[in-house]
Amino acid sequence: MAELQADFAVTAAADAAAPARRLWRRLEPTALGAGGIVGLLLVWQFLPDLVPMKAGTKLFFTVPSDIAGTLWRMFATGSIWAPLGVSAGAFAIGLGLAILAGLPLGILLGRSNVLNAMFDPFITAFNATPRLVFLPLLLLWFGLGLWSKVAIVFLGALFPLLINTYEGVRNADKLLINVVRSFGAGEWDIARLVVVPNALPFIIVGLRLAIGRAVLGVVVAEFFGAQDGLGVVMVRAASEFKVDVVFAGLIVFAVLSLVMTGLVKLIEDRMSRWRPQQVSGD
Amino acid sequence: MAAYIQARNVNLTFRPPNRAPVRALGNFDIDVAEGEFVSIVGPSGCGKSTFLNILLGLIKPDSGDILMHGKKLSGPGTDRAMVFQDFGLLPWRTVEHNIELGLELKKVPAAKRRAIAARLSALVGLAGFEHHYPHELSGGMKQRVGLARALATDPDVLLMDEPFAALDAQTRDLMQVELLRVWREAKKTVLFVTHQIDEAIYLSDRVMVMSKRPGRAKKTFAIDLPRPREYEMRVTPQFNELKLEIWNTLKDEIVV
Ligand SMILES: Nc1ncnc2c1ncn2[C@@H]1O[C@H](COP(=O)(O)OP(=O)(O)OP(=O)(O)O)[C@@H](O)[C@H]1O
Ligand SMILES: [Mg+2]
Repeated sequence: MAELQADFAVTAAADAAAPARRLWRRLEPTALGAGGIVGLLLVWQFLPDLVPMKAGTKLFFTVPSDIAGTLWRMFATGSIWAPLGVSAGAFAIGLGLAILAGLPLGILLGRSNVLNAMFDPFITAFNATPRLVFLPLLLLWFGLGLWSKVAIVFLGALFPLLINTYEGVRNADKLLINVVRSFGAGEWDIARLVVVPNALPFIIVGLRLAIGRAVLGVVVAEFFGAQDGLGVVMVRAASEFKVDVVFAGLIVFAVLSLVMTGLVKLIEDRMSRWRPQQVSGD
Repeated sequence: MAAYIQARNVNLTFRPPNRAPVRALGNFDIDVAEGEFVSIVGPSGCGKSTFLNILLGLIKPDSGDILMHGKKLSGPGTDRAMVFQDFGLLPWRTVEHNIELGLELKKVPAAKRRAIAARLSALVGLAGFEHHYPHELSGGMKQRVGLARALATDPDVLLMDEPFAALDAQTRDLMQVELLRVWREAKKTVLFVTHQIDEAIYLSDRVMVMSKRPGRAKKTFAIDLPRPREYEMRVTPQFNELKLEIWNTLKDEIVV
């Protein structure tokens, strides 16, 4: 009898602790990730105190607190907005054009064997070539301003979008296409009702890749040719050994990429409400 | 009555790439009168679904003539609708929007579509599930969505490919009664594929037995049971005689 009661007591205690444990299980990945970053930043911050450095080395070194201060100043004085605007503009226009061209083209190629056979060699060849080798040509054609950047962003973002859309369209369920056809759907309705919804997961993957390529395009164009933009600020700072400014630029680029990827995730979640959710087995 | 659907010498061979060709239909014939209820039974793989897909306008036969209402069949049309063997529901659409699919393509206004979908989901016993997605339904429920979707456009001809196969026996019995009611009231022509001889006899004016692949019409039985059909009919001697006859015709075609 006594043993039984003891058992009950243990169970009751466990029940009381259960909500806390559940909460921890939900927060654990975030907490561990944040902890890792904080730890790394701390080590970095105190590295100069821990490891003896020569004066020359110190010139190329900076600590998180300096970077944070520089970032703060750039925003407080507003000096960041002009170059950031230039970079963001090239990014947005280039990516936008890539989406406007890549999605319809991917759908057309996926649905038409003739068009696909015609364009496939170009796409394969283009995709196998690193797009950045076109930079000198693009700079020559479009000058050092906005449009050479837009062009390189466009080229970088177009192919992941095009190829993923194409794959998604190819993957469309034949039965479902037949179903909507039997109800009188034409090519446009088939694309709207079956092909595009079916290809959405592929398109989202393409969009995510395209964002990465677009950021890369902006950065590289600004490192090697352009006269304006956040990348140009970084290159100038590097040549003047302002390592904290270089890091500040890097962080802004990283945060921008993260925000964009987060937006895509939001769209994805909204679009995939119809999919079976994983059953949580608590 | 003149034949409403008339198929003569229909041949179709599937030629999948990198695989041996499959001759699905060989000189298949059928006549269906307007307003008639005809069932097709036959061994698995004998070309039943293939023939329904041809009538639906999704597959072109290699040879043969198919007339509907005296006109040569050309492509899909809103005068026909199919209840698909594999349901064919759009997974990203709710029950309601799946039922509305054909109406949407016919450009029926949204309010009217909604009303029709509500009436039909009640008819097939899915009231309360209008906003569920297909993955949230059982097999039998999915099949009933497919039935409601086919009824929604009010087609003259209903092509039904094992439409009750995924239903439990009791729901199946109820759906059979409902189908007969819809058929009688709306004066539709029905072509009904099933593996259940009982079901075929109970529902039909005529039952066609198909040969094994390549499928052709082996023999057609007229079902002279009075209408409206009662459930009790299934235990009458006349019913059982028909059942035995059909079974004897069918069993030689079944290869295991
Ligand atoms: N798209 C296709 N490509 C190649 N072969 C096919 C295709 N569709 C059907 N077949 C073949 O044609 C034959 C007839 O198929 P069908 O689906 O018409 O049979 P069925 O009579 O409906 O059979 P079941 O009763 O099992 O549904 C089968 O041997 C099948 O393998
Ligand atoms: Mg079949």
